[in-house]
Amino acid sequence: MKNFRYLVLGALAATALPFVGIVVGAQAQFNSLGRAPAEEGGPLMPPLEPGQAIQGRQVYLSLGCVSCHTQQVRPAGQGGDIAGALGARPSVARDYVLQPVVLLGDRRIGPDLANYGVRAKADADVHLAILHKVGGRDQFGFLYSGANHEIPSERAVMLAAYLRSLRQDYSSPEAPLK
Amino acid sequence: MTQEQRSGRPDEDRSRLSRIDAPLRAPFLLLFGSAALWLMLSSALSLLTTLKALPAGIGSYEWFAHGRLEAAARNAFVYGWAGNALFAINLWLLAQLGRFEIRNGWMASVGGLFWNLALTWCTGSVIVSGPGAYALLDFPVGAGPVLAASFALAGLWPVVAYAKRPTGHNFAAQWFVVGASVTFLLAFLLAQAAVFWAPASGVVQAVAHSWYVRTVHLLWLGGSALGLGYYFVSKVLARPLHAYYLASVAFWTYFLFAGWTAPASLIGSPVPLWIQSIGVVGSMMLLVPVLLIGLNLLGALSRDGGWFRAWNSTSLRFISIGIVSLLASLAIAAWASDRSVNAGLRFTSFAEGQNLLLLYAGVTFCVFGAAYAALPRVSGGRWPSAAAIHVHFWASTLGAAGAAFAAFAHPSAHGFISAVSAALLLIGHLAFASTAFAALLSGVPAGESQPAHD
Repeated sequence: MKNFRYLVLGALAATALPFVGIVVGAQAQFNSLGRAPAEEGGPLMPPLEPGQAIQGRQVYLSLGCVSCHTQQVRPAGQGGDIAGALGARPSVARDYVLQPVVLLGDRRIGPDLANYGVRAKADADVHLAILHKVGGRDQFGFLYSGANHEIPSERAVMLAAYLRSLRQDYSSPEAPLK
Repeated sequence: MTQEQRSGRPDEDRSRLSRIDAPLRAPFLLLFGSAALWLMLSSALSLLTTLKALPAGIGSYEWFAHGRLEAAARNAFVYGWAGNALFAINLWLLAQLGRFEIRNGWMASVGGLFWNLALTWCTGSVIVSGPGAYALLDFPVGAGPVLAASFALAGLWPVVAYAKRPTGHNFAAQWFVVGASVTFLLAFLLAQAAVFWAPASGVVQAVAHSWYVRTVHLLWLGGSALGLGYYFVSKVLARPLHAYYLASVAFWTYFLFAGWTAPASLIGSPVPLWIQSIGVVGSMMLLVPVLLIGLNLLGALSRDGGWFRAWNSTSLRFISIGIVSLLASLAIAAWASDRSVNAGLRFTSFAEGQNLLLLYAGVTFCVFGAAYAALPRVSGGRWPSAAAIHVHFWASTLGAAGAAFAAFAHPSAHGFISAVSAALLLIGHLAFASTAFAALLSGVPAGESQPAHD
């Protein structure tokens, strides 16, 4: 049964080695990654998230928003994210250190949201965007009441707070703003 | 396949079941029956996600949010359909190849039962309270251990069948299926650990997730499908594979390289560059086994009218398309891992097209082909309708082609073609599932156990 043992151990090793190499390797590199000041003595970045935004992330998760929206800006030269004004600088790992789950996303059916908080000017605009009144399909009406969906529910308010908290417009040691 | 045509147990009047096939019947019925139900559920949910506007009345409910439907359809497809179907087919194949007579097959049935119960819970939870952050890991934390334990009971039988085979037979098909079967449990537990039990910090979770998804896709599902390919190509053509001495190199290079391709799905993301580069290199290296497997399988099909004979065999017609699609998706993945190519394709529906080629036109077609051979043998019944097989083949093939066209040629739009393709796939699956149930049940004497419904 030598054959059998080689086969099973080989297949298990083939599964585990990439995990050790990639995942454990990445964890070793980022284990001590924390917030950092943009300049000497400045405030630590990324800023702590407001409580409402933390609750709003759960709403974002539960509605499956991640299936159509990304939250990452690729560096210049790797796609047109910077040129397309999705952010002033590329996303770096440090931007995500406070997040319990990381919602990078894989597909942009809707716009990228990494810097949505920079673009959104007022809560009312955010609610219109959640309702997908601008193009797209109108399917989050259940978060609102009123004849015209004009009254946001508590969850809609938390979701809006979360979306407005999304910003990577501060300078970071790995990606300084020019 | 075995030539033994001995009678089964004395209380059975169907003498056609061999001693190997007969004890497989109960677990096979349960597992493959559930698989067919999940396939229909998954294609119905997929159809809903392709519609621009949901039918009035359900569009305004939270349960039908696009992200929820999509996650539920994905889980139903991968764990429900492919998982259950491979439990059944892989066990059948390795029992055949090793002349293994299963004892304690009830353990596979119990495992299958709990797998399906846990999965029903997971799918319900995705619809009712929403998916999590990571595709294919988006179910309640408590469901993880149940799924792992059920897999250990239902999914490891190919390994037992290989270890305890009374013959010394040692074929490439067995290596692929055994390798694929031991892969999943380890990958699942490590991924659960890195994402839920001891969460890795920040973006490392995304790295772990990409590794898990790629391992499930390429090693568990893809590896099993390749095993089916190695068996059926040589079986149906009744000739050895082309350059068969390279099969062991193909097997080991495939298994050793596949997991390293994972970070190719994170090119440009905020993860370290060295990790992204590993993904690019891994994707390129995977071209080695792609070439060798192509040489083995497509080489055999290309000699002496092999393609013609494949077309005239229901099983090999599906499986040859499956192998071509699977290899094509890996070749496309290598091309798309080039940084400049990837820059234009990332975040579009291109990755969906790759998954469709790999998991549907690749793995699922191989399972369809194997099912057309395995079901009648295990159940003692017959496929009742040739017309239904034609409907299944053409609806699935055209649906897959249409969906692939929509994803590859028309990125970032979910248009009319997607909806028509999804509808075609649903029609094909209804035809497949209804005849599969007829075939499964026609061999069961009245009063015998029926396949469980989830």
